[in-house]
Amino acid sequence: MADLEIRDLHVATEGHEILRGVDLEVSRGEIHALMGPNGSGKSTLASTLLGHPAYEITRGSISFKGEDITEAEPHERARAGLFLAFQYPVAIPGVSVANFLRMAINAKREEPIGVKEFRTQLTHAVDLLDVDRSFTSRHLNDGFSGGEKKRAEILQMAMLLPDVAILDETDSGLDIDALRTVAEGVQRLHDEQGLGVLIITHYQRILHYVKPDFVHILLDGRIVLEGGVELVERLEREGYDQIRQEFASGEASAVAAGDGGG
Amino acid sequence: MTAVAESRGARTADTSDNGAGRAGPAQAGGPAAAAKPGGHREATLYRALAGAGAGDGRTLAQLREAALSAYERLELPVWRRSGFWTTSLESLDLDALRTSRGDSGEDAVPDVVQRTLPQRPRAGRIVQSADATVALELDPELRARGAVLCSLEDAFREHPELVARWYSRRLTIDRHKLEAANAAFWSAGAFLYVPPEVVVREPFEIVYAIEQPGIAQYGRTLVLGGQASEFQLHEYDLGEDFEGQALHAGALELYLQDGARCRLAQVQDWGSGEVFDVSTRFVGVGRDAYCHWLPALLGGQLVRQHLELAVCEPGGEMAFRGLFFTEEREHLDVFAVDLHETGPSEGDVHWRGAATGESRASFEGLIEIDPGAQRTHTYLQIHSMMLSPRARVDAIPSVLVSADDVSASHGGTVGELDEAAIFYMQSRGLDRPAAVRVIVEGFFEPLVAQLEDEPLEELVRGKLARKLAAAREDIEAYATSR
Repeated sequence: MADLEIRDLHVATEGHEILRGVDLEVSRGEIHALMGPNGSGKSTLASTLLGHPAYEITRGSISFKGEDITEAEPHERARAGLFLAFQYPVAIPGVSVANFLRMAINAKREEPIGVKEFRTQLTHAVDLLDVDRSFTSRHLNDGFSGGEKKRAEILQMAMLLPDVAILDETDSGLDIDALRTVAEGVQRLHDEQGLGVLIITHYQRILHYVKPDFVHILLDGRIVLEGGVELVERLEREGYDQIRQEFASGEASAVAAGDGGG
Repeated sequence: MTAVAESRGARTADTSDNGAGRAGPAQAGGPAAAAKPGGHREATLYRALAGAGAGDGRTLAQLREAALSAYERLELPVWRRSGFWTTSLESLDLDALRTSRGDSGEDAVPDVVQRTLPQRPRAGRIVQSADATVALELDPELRARGAVLCSLEDAFREHPELVARWYSRRLTIDRHKLEAANAAFWSAGAFLYVPPEVVVREPFEIVYAIEQPGIAQYGRTLVLGGQASEFQLHEYDLGEDFEGQALHAGALELYLQDGARCRLAQVQDWGSGEVFDVSTRFVGVGRDAYCHWLPALLGGQLVRQHLELAVCEPGGEMAFRGLFFTEEREHLDVFAVDLHETGPSEGDVHWRGAATGESRASFEGLIEIDPGAQRTHTYLQIHSMMLSPRARVDAIPSVLVSADDVSASHGGTVGELDEAAIFYMQSRGLDRPAAVRVIVEGFFEPLVAQLEDEPLEELVRGKLARKLAAAREDIEAYATSR
């Protein structure tokens, strides 16, 4: 059984069905890339996995480490070991990065983390993400540049050490140096800690630095193609339109086949 | 958060009514609609003291007598701003209150003071419960250097020349009935004098406590900072949790002479009783002097505060911070004045407030720059946060400028809880109440940190956290209703 299992997931928001039957499995130690054009439902999936209240699951289920978390509160999913690196991280004025991290870590523990242990972990994470130490005393995401926000997301991931992390367009808005730093950080957490990763992206760029084991193509709320890293190369050559056309005809025949079999 | 107001250097004047002698509902809506020339001044209700006070050479006895006749002449005040705001003391049963505790009168530090004030080194402390001083201490070394901390009554006896020169120098005695009551009936009181050149690290503490219902407390504080003195003053206004009415009508005046520097903080929390607090505080900043003033208004059934920080001599600087948190059915009415009588001068006003339950808060911030106050630079910002559908905060900035070589502007935000921020924190493992607490504490933190005094910061943070916890269900219901 995979750590994260998504079964026939249908999700609607404001009356519109966005996801129309997604099946996906992600386990510790695996790197998955979920690719798709704008509007395909990528971010909806990311938000739904963490339990965003604006997204309603109309069918299907999500389980994590054997527990059904379809109805779980966001903080329960986080404490269970899921992590979402946001596409648009939210500013939390008045709270320093370090204090926020301490709160988040303590939320998972019975006893508060010791000062020394916390410091050690923080130093390690700060080095990993190649950020200045003073970064952690700034208010979280408040006045951060786009690149700083994305680094802060990965810094939090490195501190919280989830089992499975979902990276929602973490590569967007990053210059090449920041992208490399962030991607290397993710790769190291995977290599050293066995982190399972679901990289959600529109582009191939980040996948030059983090090598996915599995690639999934999401179109119009469904995963239409799955494969290995060769899919990335194909996308690079052909673009989404080619696949969409292929899928449009494929869907017609699949539906026909389904009807026939019913 | 959305920006609500930004305007620059407007110049108008008006004569808004101060509520003195307003006789209640019979005159509903009458005066407020009258003289209102400037559009941005439409909403203003109050007027700066901006002038000489009552202490014009008269003796204390004469002032008390004049105040008494004003008291007898005036009705309990009702302040109305056209359309949407009324602060009324009509529900106060003043005749039923007494000034003295009426018990054995044992001089003990009230429990609420013991519980609340941080254990810390201090320069001195004076505690008043009801109408009596119940504790007084002053660092003997400071006493030896000429510092004075005592009741104001004792100060009139022991330092008459000093006190007579400054008492009620800028405070009036007859704008409304409760101001008159204070000037007529105050007893005990507090007097602090920091001699020239004396620099004091630890804070002086002046405490007013109400321990039981039925008390009318008339607190009166006079503080003098001598030339180039430096000190901190923490005022506490505290009430026990009781059922029934009580009144605190307070008056504070603080004068800083040339080059003096003062950090003035106030923690006000009258507890869960039906406590009315109608007070006036005036701080005058002398030549090249500096005052950092931070009131934390954290509770009272009906609170009306006139807080005026005036730069009276060239080169004066001030930072006027403040925060408030209202809950349940509390009513808070703050009028904060940043007054510049001469230039060059610097001002910086920054307030933050939040409201839960069915509470109402009105914050009116006025920048007033007199004709002689050229080269004044000042900025006023007000940020507020609504935590309940039935709570309301009105923030009313206004600017009254009569000099041309100045910069004066204001801005602010009104906000509700940011659901995106809550989800973000939940996704990191914080549960919803914790996330809400982080947001609200983060909202206040920029001001709390400016107390620059660890024990006081912790006290204020703790009070905010407890109030948030108490309002948890209400906040949750509001969030899920949106």
